[in-house]
Amino acid sequence: MVTIALLGTLLTACGGGESGVATLNWYINPDNGGQAELAAKCSAASNGAYRIETSVLPNDATAQREQLVRRLAAKDASIDLMSLDPPFIPEFAEAGFLREYTEAEARELNTGALSGPIESGTWDGKLMGAPFWANTQLLWFRRSVAQAAGIDPARTPVTWSQIIDLAASAGKTVEVQGNLYEGYMVWISALVSSAGGKILENPEAGKNVKPAIDSDAGRKAATVVQQLGRSRAADPALSTTDEEAARAAFQGDTGGFMVNWAYVYGAAQEAVAAGTLDKSVLDDIGWARYPQVDAGVPSRPPLGGINLGIGAFSNHKDEAVQAVRCITSLESQTQYMLKSKNPGARAAVYDNPEVRTVFPMADDLRTSLAEGAPRPRTPYYTDVSTAVQRSFHPPASVDPNRAPDRAAKLIVNVLKDKVLL
Amino acid sequence: MNSRRSLGQRIGTYGGPVLVIFWTLFPVVWILSLSFKPESGINNQKFLPDSWTLENYRTVFNTPLFTSALRNSIFISLIATVLSVMIATVAAYAIARLEFPGKRLILSLALAIAMFPAVSLVGPLFDIWRSIGLYDTWLGLIIPYMSFTLPLSIWTLSAFFREIPWEMEQAAQIDGATPWQAFRKVIVPLAAPGVFTAAILAFFFAWNDFVFGISLTSTDAARPVPAALAFFTGASQFQRPAAAISAAAVVVTIPVVVLVLLFQRRIVAGLTAGAVKG
Amino acid sequence: MTITGTAAPAIGVPVTDRTRNEKRLGWKLTAPAVIVMLAVTAYPMLNALYLSLFSYRLTDPAAREFIGLRNYGVVLSDGLWWQTVFTTVIITVVTVAVELLIGFGFAMVMHRIIFGRKVVRTSILIPYGIITVVSAFAWRYAFALDSGFINTWFNLGDFAWFSERWSSLVAICLSEIWKTTPFMSLLLLAGLAQVPEDLQEAAKVDGATWRQRLTRVTLPNMKGAILVAVLFRTLDAYRLFDNVFVMTAGAQKTETVSFLAYRQMISRTALGLGSAVSVLLFLSVVAIAALFIKGFKVDLSSVRGR
Repeated sequence: MVTIALLGTLLTACGGGESGVATLNWYINPDNGGQAELAAKCSAASNGAYRIETSVLPNDATAQREQLVRRLAAKDASIDLMSLDPPFIPEFAEAGFLREYTEAEARELNTGALSGPIESGTWDGKLMGAPFWANTQLLWFRRSVAQAAGIDPARTPVTWSQIIDLAASAGKTVEVQGNLYEGYMVWISALVSSAGGKILENPEAGKNVKPAIDSDAGRKAATVVQQLGRSRAADPALSTTDEEAARAAFQGDTGGFMVNWAYVYGAAQEAVAAGTLDKSVLDDIGWARYPQVDAGVPSRPPLGGINLGIGAFSNHKDEAVQAVRCITSLESQTQYMLKSKNPGARAAVYDNPEVRTVFPMADDLRTSLAEGAPRPRTPYYTDVSTAVQRSFHPPASVDPNRAPDRAAKLIVNVLKDKVLL
Repeated sequence: MNSRRSLGQRIGTYGGPVLVIFWTLFPVVWILSLSFKPESGINNQKFLPDSWTLENYRTVFNTPLFTSALRNSIFISLIATVLSVMIATVAAYAIARLEFPGKRLILSLALAIAMFPAVSLVGPLFDIWRSIGLYDTWLGLIIPYMSFTLPLSIWTLSAFFREIPWEMEQAAQIDGATPWQAFRKVIVPLAAPGVFTAAILAFFFAWNDFVFGISLTSTDAARPVPAALAFFTGASQFQRPAAAISAAAVVVTIPVVVLVLLFQRRIVAGLTAGAVKG
Repeated sequence: MTITGTAAPAIGVPVTDRTRNEKRLGWKLTAPAVIVMLAVTAYPMLNALYLSLFSYRLTDPAAREFIGLRNYGVVLSDGLWWQTVFTTVIITVVTVAVELLIGFGFAMVMHRIIFGRKVVRTSILIPYGIITVVSAFAWRYAFALDSGFINTWFNLGDFAWFSERWSSLVAICLSEIWKTTPFMSLLLLAGLAQVPEDLQEAAKVDGATWRQRLTRVTLPNMKGAILVAVLFRTLDAYRLFDNVFVMTAGAQKTETVSFLAYRQMISRTALGLGSAVSVLLFLSVVAIAALFIKGFKVDLSSVRGR
């Protein structure tokens, strides 16, 4: 036993900073190196106050949360900074995993930020995740396809039903994220919000939450899912399509329409530069606001992005606050948007001339962010999301009269530990 | 009649082995082929690449996620293997050589534990590990790995040790050596090949583990290769680099192929010795 | 030696001493192994048993509450549990049956082989040694609509294998079968080696056909080896996890019991409910083993050697 304990200390002891410089561990979502670049920049700018090391989390949002929760449940002091997907902030905050920003810090960090990212970083009136970058989905379309169909989604808003029918008759697809994962919840949530509804009535009630998805809005959302699922406009692999599969199909021969995050345009530009995508395809890509569910009722596009949280068990909280200040500064956010093609959380980023050349849709993004709807903000978000995903999957077999009801019941039962999930 | 049989025999003689080799190597060649496809040509929907590249190998060796996982996997698997084989050698010696009540029970226990569903263990282990600080450490994986490497080694070694000419040990004991001395001086050299085989098999199992690897780690500090493969990330949060994953898969298959090439006869003997008397 | 040891107490003061020493040495030498094996499995299992009596979520530790056996009631009355059990049983039965057939064929090839013996035996060990996750990725990419060649080869157009339950299961089973058939065939090969050659010759002389020799001589004589191989593989297949994780992540109702337990425990950090699933998974493995040993009379003494 003694030897095991000794071995334990030997094997667990990993290099801590022995010099005066505080080493901050920043857990980041995967990107093309943009966050690592900011880490290096801010470390250098701190004049030796801290040094940031990045650690990459897994690909999808659910797995990122899983990794962080497990470490934080182990009261891991090595988590100083984390890039948090906003839907998980309530859960982390309630569990005591995050150090809240003081009012003064919050005022400073929120200044100039868009309302969406501020709202998603705040829980119980306190800022838990500082706005870093914001994400939203647009409707991307192939200009040639829209033109042939005689529509211009950029000028006249289109509805789901309209683009599904158009694509089907043109032999093209409407690409969405239909895989059984968080991206599918993003779609359903945006559909429900666009139809004027909500998934939860009182998300802050925690376990005693009352679902609101079993409503007309829920049924309308399910109708869209079903319509696409059964249409010829669906990707053959709709029920396994994620963001990248959707993007690949959209750039291919059958691409017509797609809802996807802001990065896709930058990714297409990079593909052209690398010689793997024809320039004509890039030129054919148009964008517009997220499609409507009811004609004439403005859509509520999905919101995403990353907020920066500070680990509750960190030994370097003060340095971490300084680092957050540097990472979320206007300059850093602009640099990050240009490097990683992820939109900034501060409104002023979108006025930067360089940003506007790389993102010709900068204004559309800003509008979409301002008028988007967040996913339900509850400490039990993962369970709610999984319950909705499972009740609506696979898309082709969704029954608008039953799926919302099933989702509502599943949410209630799961939160009361009455069923498995 | 006669000629038909000889044709059948001929197919059996040549066709059978060719079929077996095709079956075993086909997916290996496929993943090898994928690993040479450029990331942009990965979706050519053909078995072979349109153009060949080594880029993916450069990528994986420049990915800290992979290189650290490789290091973790090698050392964690080796340590778990060495520890289990050491403990198992002593136990298997006693089981093969000594008469004592309970030895059949120990073998049954080893069998039962080797069949244990690993997933049943991860929840409680996670809960224990996080409270005693073993979560995401090497030791935190070495211990659970022993839940299968140890019974496997006991099993294989007991079978091997039964084949050893124990009269030599008795001769040594008559010459005045204690049982322990006889074991160390005479039997250990005879038993070494069996021990080595058990070690290879145990290493394969540890190398293959996925359930513990994804559940009990969360960073480069301890994450082993299979878990790293599943978490491979691309240039954005949404990309999954199939070509790079394939290259990494090929890299981690190389040690397996080398061990198999070198010790084919031993591994077969070890696999069957443990399961069927032979 | 055993006779003198037990039956002659009058003569043997030194003999009993020796037996006692041997007994003590035997226990001493096996103690570390037994302690480690119990520590790494029995202790966590007891811990799971204990946790399964609570309603307990890691992200909400304050709400932890003792609820007795209610978690088991929840699991056993849940359609999802029975669906995963069904999926797991299907996968187990299909893979083990197919592996038995192919494995037997391979064993015959290796048994009769004249040419290329070493090459065949080496190549058959490669799937055995390969990481399951690697096998899963290889087959996933082969079937995938974007990167795969299977649809091109078999002219299946844009059939999405992972969009349907049954076709996803086909892909999962294929990966599992490919990876584990070698193990099966090597165990069967060892069994074939046990069939007395003179019996085969005698049957040949009596004019038995190939099929008669197979069913009357070969198979009965290797029944033990077959049952052991099937038992090992069944228990192994029942805990299938890696392939599902990589290929479908449980979508299209391909979730296995292991995957369900993992999701409750690790993804949802519902330690109470998840522990109940883990305990039930463990009990089903025990039940399968008991069924084989009692029902089919698998001779484990042949497994134990002499």
